[in-house]
Amino acid sequence: MNLGISALNYVNSIKNGDFTAEEFIEKSFERIKEVDDNLHAFLSFNDIALEKAKGIDRRISSNQKIGQCFGMPISVKDNMCVEGTKTTCASKVLENFISPYTGTAVSRLEAEDAIIIGKTNLDEFAMGLSTEFSAYGPSKNPWNIDYVPGGSSGGSAVSVSANECIASLGSDTGGSIRNPASFCSIVGLKPTYGLVSRFGLVSYANSLDQIGPMTKTVEDSAFLLNIISGVDHNDNTTIDNKNQDYLKDIDAGITGKKIGIVTEMTNPDGLSTSVLNATNDAIKKFEDLGANCEQVSLGMSKYAVAAYYTITSTEAGSNLARYDNIRYGYEFDSSGFEFNSYISQARSKLGPEVIRRMILGGFVPSAGHAGKYFLKALKVKSKLITEINHIFKKFDYLISPTVPIQPFKFGEKINDPVSFMLVDFNTVTANLTGIPAISVPFKIEDGLPIGIQIMANHMDEHSLLQAAYALEKTVSLPEVEI
Amino acid sequence: MKKLVNEEEIIHVAKLMKIELADYNIHIKKVQKMLEYFDILDEANIESEDLIVQETDVDKLRDDKHVIYDKKLLKFLKNYKETYVKAPKLS
Amino acid sequence: MAKIGLEIHGQLTKLESKLFCPCKADYRQFEPNTNICPICMGIPGALPLLNRIAVEKATLIAMALDCKTPNKIAFFRKNYFYPDLPKNFQITQLNVYGNTSIGWEGKISVADKVIRIRRIQLEEDPGRLIYEGANEKTKVTLVDYNRAGTPLVEIVTEPDFETPHEVREFLNILSDLLENLNVSDPGLEGAMRADANVSIEGGSKVEIKNIGSFHDLEKAVHFEITRQQSLAERKIEIVQETRHWDDGRKITVSARTKEEEAEYRYHLEADIPWIRINDDTKNQLQAHMPESISSKKERYVSKYGITSQVADILASDRYFSELFENAKNETNAKDVANMITTDIMGLLDTREKRETSKLSPEHLSDLVECIKSNKITRASAKLALDEIIKNGKSLEQIINDLDLGHVSDKEELSDIITQVLNEEAKAVEDAKLNPEIVNFLVGKVMQKTRGKADPELTLSLLKKSLDFD
Repeated sequence: MNLGISALNYVNSIKNGDFTAEEFIEKSFERIKEVDDNLHAFLSFNDIALEKAKGIDRRISSNQKIGQCFGMPISVKDNMCVEGTKTTCASKVLENFISPYTGTAVSRLEAEDAIIIGKTNLDEFAMGLSTEFSAYGPSKNPWNIDYVPGGSSGGSAVSVSANECIASLGSDTGGSIRNPASFCSIVGLKPTYGLVSRFGLVSYANSLDQIGPMTKTVEDSAFLLNIISGVDHNDNTTIDNKNQDYLKDIDAGITGKKIGIVTEMTNPDGLSTSVLNATNDAIKKFEDLGANCEQVSLGMSKYAVAAYYTITSTEAGSNLARYDNIRYGYEFDSSGFEFNSYISQARSKLGPEVIRRMILGGFVPSAGHAGKYFLKALKVKSKLITEINHIFKKFDYLISPTVPIQPFKFGEKINDPVSFMLVDFNTVTANLTGIPAISVPFKIEDGLPIGIQIMANHMDEHSLLQAAYALEKTVSLPEVEI
Repeated sequence: MKKLVNEEEIIHVAKLMKIELADYNIHIKKVQKMLEYFDILDEANIESEDLIVQETDVDKLRDDKHVIYDKKLLKFLKNYKETYVKAPKLS
Repeated sequence: MAKIGLEIHGQLTKLESKLFCPCKADYRQFEPNTNICPICMGIPGALPLLNRIAVEKATLIAMALDCKTPNKIAFFRKNYFYPDLPKNFQITQLNVYGNTSIGWEGKISVADKVIRIRRIQLEEDPGRLIYEGANEKTKVTLVDYNRAGTPLVEIVTEPDFETPHEVREFLNILSDLLENLNVSDPGLEGAMRADANVSIEGGSKVEIKNIGSFHDLEKAVHFEITRQQSLAERKIEIVQETRHWDDGRKITVSARTKEEEAEYRYHLEADIPWIRINDDTKNQLQAHMPESISSKKERYVSKYGITSQVADILASDRYFSELFENAKNETNAKDVANMITTDIMGLLDTREKRETSKLSPEHLSDLVECIKSNKITRASAKLALDEIIKNGKSLEQIINDLDLGHVSDKEELSDIITQVLNEEAKAVEDAKLNPEIVNFLVGKVMQKTRGKADPELTLSLLKKSLDFD
């Protein structure tokens, strides 16, 4: 039994009787035991996972109808509500918070008989890009444990990359699925804003947040997207995708397609040498596949990071206001306290990065600075959308390296907020404009992964996955050694 | 907009956001740096841009029906004698 | 002259569910914290789901107040910390990116004055706080979130009022209007609240909050004007501030400075898309808008010949105007209207009585018919009404049960008159000297017949018997 198999291969294996769901889950837990003390991908585990697997096996053997996932183990980022589980968002202020309900994306997976094996580590409240800001300790990159796995969905990426589970659900606000996918050499998709319901996702910046699949292969990504996507009456911002099948014709290829190489995201001055080389290789591969590649300038992307941090700090400041420890949170008796001082003390458990963003989020929209920043950022966002709509009239895809650099060592970036921000440079545009973007594992250089990002127009995931599939098939990457 | 951030402002914002700060000076520096970076937005030439927002029609909205939430939500919350939620006293 | 403006919060109590979730809009019957769900409790990951009918009813209010209405509405967050706010922000509306609230620039007539409406917005009510604990040390704030998320319409007027009386008038008119539109029952406890801002010539604007009732509002405004005037007389500056109405001491007191610190960091609510309200929708709403009170009144007067006073009372009351509309026909409208205002309103003067009343429009038209055709007297009709309200039996049945039939048979009446004349010999004598005494005798006949005797016939027969002419 190879724990490194894809979701689709798992399904075939179960159907063929190669192994049972119970056997696979058992082996997965063994694997977790073997590596997770070191890697720390998980924050909590589902103690009835094995029981669920047995139930599924029983139903399989008695020829009952089984959901598409056939008991495959899937991990879920710990900022998504799963009923009865602790949902900590990797923060001390939610140490004791147990979700009373399960969010839509997860329920859709469970309805298809996926087994949620555990909740994964993240940067606290999804704010960060290395998982170093988790209040429960960082996760480690399985390719080299001295290096960060990326973030904020670091734990999710590690769990998939280290074969602790078949796939994971992550969330992406500025690159939080794609960045760790690139750093850990797996596939990470941020769908179009509104394609996947956010019901159950703890909001960080609700005008940008999206849930997406993190998988071993592009086909797996399409497979999971089929299950979790589509309009949801629990989320007013979801869009109807008319039941599109993302797996259909995924191997159609990209002959004759026009690919724009985003100049601002591939500027040699902004990329490390290895990433620059990988990018050029990728361009060659695309051309070999029959696509036409051409430089294109996305002028507004220069302002994207500033707009992104302005908008997210404002929205985060508001979204996190509810964590006053009065209705839920952690143990801290309020007797004898006065209201304002209790809340401030309770919230002092927030980590330093979250606090930094709270302060920024208080400044940006405040009257003192005339709220001008926020409106400007909204206008930059709008102009970026206009620009990208215009570009997609000519191009089918846009490409760039997912991250300008390879994974870095722990502690390397944590103290310089501006250089830290710029790691997000290539990914934030897709969030600001709402377009879908995917990171495809492309190279391992000096033992560390490099991913290539492909972007497509709104709701064009079907086409996007075809391009990702085509690129994926041009490379054959080594297995992780851990 | 090269306005210097002062301690008074940081204290005011920390109060607004109900955040206790150990060292105001660190935050003064950090916020200052971020706001300076945000000044790049001034160069963007977007004064006349219309806001592009997500829209929907009124007939797509939720029907006005009363649906009882069937789980005893109060059990999941910190509660006081299974009835009220207790909050610290207001000054 | 004082300048007074109002900020009214009216609950849309006629809705079934809250503004952003399917919990019940009317929270009043629930045990604490039993009318809640993840959305209104602000549980992480739960998203607001806007109530379509709330948007429609609020638009109706905007139209009824002659407001301009937008093609798209948007929602904003007002951020502040308070125990009654589950999310520590309130979802409300603002007009900073163009006009995006439910209505603006409207007007309404109060007496012979026009009061301008600055803005109407849809927003959610917070929860309720109660305090427990005897002293500072043990004092505890208890929160009931049943009300959190209840739909509110905030109506802000220009400072066009000049006297407390005008304010009171306006609030009554507004209550009637909301009730008439079938969007709210203003009589429910807490369904309508108002804050005021008051300034006098050359003085700063003072806000008054925490006013419990409209009666208190009138008093508070009156007090505040007086307070400001006396300050002005003594050449003391009137500070721009927020004051609270202290109902115990019947004065306004300066609120704590936390009001000045309030800074709400308003920004768009991204979980709710902008809602397109097209002309078709607006036209539909307009077409189905309940007839306005003034239009009803005019119709009652011009078409049915009802007096202006009666028409006024009837049109302003939704329950009774509906009863009138259903009971009247071409010929009896005036009588029906009069019966309602004279007899029925007094009998059904509370919400409970109206709710348990078994009186139907058919009963009413039957009653009017029977009086007209002399089947029963007005006095008997009153007795019948009591019975009908209590048990809803048909009028015919009640006339039988209580033997309320009209006594207009000449022979029967003559017999009774003879009886009375024999019994009241003294009065008969007195009547010869003082003709007015005959009324006393009529009264005795009425008594004997338990009000069923036809008064006119009785009088004429009596006069004959007494040889009057």
